[in-house]
Amino acid sequence: MLAAAHEDRIYRILTELTAIPRQDIKPADRLREDLGMDSVTRMELVSMLAEEFDMDIELEEAIAIEDVVGIFTLAEARLSDV
Amino acid sequence: MAGEAPAVEVLLLGAGGFLGLHTLDALRDRGIDPRCGRRRRSNVLGLRSRKARLVPADLDEPGGLVEAMSGCSVVVHAAGHYPKTSRDPQAALALGLRQSRAVLDAAAAAGVRRLVYVSTTSTVAPAPGGGPSDERHTWPEPPAFGAYHALKWHMERAFLDEDRLEVTVACPAACLGPGDLRVGTSALLVATSRGMDPPHPDGWVPVVDARDVGRAVATLATMSAPPRRVLLAGGNHRLQDLLTLAAARYRVPPPAPPVDAATAIQLADAAEAAVEGTAQRPSLSREIVDLVVHGLPLCCALAESRLGLSWTPLSTTLDDFDAWARRLGIVPPHPETAPCSPPPTRTASTGSSPS
Repeated sequence: MLAAAHEDRIYRILTELTAIPRQDIKPADRLREDLGMDSVTRMELVSMLAEEFDMDIELEEAIAIEDVVGIFTLAEARLSDV
Repeated sequence: MAGEAPAVEVLLLGAGGFLGLHTLDALRDRGIDPRCGRRRRSNVLGLRSRKARLVPADLDEPGGLVEAMSGCSVVVHAAGHYPKTSRDPQAALALGLRQSRAVLDAAAAAGVRRLVYVSTTSTVAPAPGGGPSDERHTWPEPPAFGAYHALKWHMERAFLDEDRLEVTVACPAACLGPGDLRVGTSALLVATSRGMDPPHPDGWVPVVDARDVGRAVATLATMSAPPRRVLLAGGNHRLQDLLTLAAARYRVPPPAPPVDAATAIQLADAAEAAVEGTAQRPSLSREIVDLVVHGLPLCCALAESRLGLSWTPLSTTLDDFDAWARRLGIVPPHPETAPCSPPPTRTASTGSSPS
């Protein structure tokens, strides 16, 4: 389970990139269809996550993320590796 | 061959982009580990995986640019403004010129000796009397047929007019190869691979492997007495030929005949209008249409003679892009796909070129 503080940091980045208020973003939201993020913005998102949490993410992993839950899952796995 | 100067401290702007990453690799091949400029919202995944030296460098924050350039003798600028659409030419021009001046002013203030600016072959004019164009052929005034061409003309002119430091300009043609995450020039090839058969005009499309561009830019950064401006294209093709090749590679029906230029412009303008105010990108962008409709065959003998550059064959470029794009799911998996012979190449190395 991802710590609430980490989730908050992820939501903050999502809000910065999409201009969608935090309370309107749900874990099940799809990055492209629901949050309107094109492929370039999705890459920016994953890059900002890598910087925020100082974790290395491969392109294949980045491109495979489709929804907010996917971000949580990746972050949880990476942070537990540290 | 190019004469190599001693190792230098280099700042690479746009390091995380398609050309930036290949330039980083090429500089490292020469023993130079550059500082890699980054904006907060830039994609640095490729830079992190390469353990690059990241420094903050935002073209909209001049003070930070000077700091990023401090102690550097060379700056490579591969972060020139590339507007998402051609809908607001004045705004694009204002931003592009403001950022260009910020880079130049910061370089001058930081005591940078040389700046390598990565421009585009869209600044190349037709050769009088026909035949391939080369470094001598420039528009005396900004082209009037497209916002992208005009923007790039103004930006390149700003760099060429600089007299406080040495400036050399690289003009890459349509860039192909692995690492094209924005799928810029490759967009029509990717669409074709998916069997989408996008409407398209026909025209000359000089192409170049992005890794060749990286090598050329690294050479310009390090050689003694670089040329003022150099064109980079490994071959001249018709777009219809390229799309036909892509269709054959991916075992999809050949592309429909091209639409005429006016129709293509109408389609692109409509596609750009449809995504205005959204985060989406147009299905057919106006600058791509302009680039194809007004594309020119190029002679790149100067890059060969002065930079010692040899061009990666198109078949190799496409094979390597294909392998990379399949890994990321950008093009569909298709185990039966096999490399095909490249389309007819109208040689890029014929004709005379300035020394």
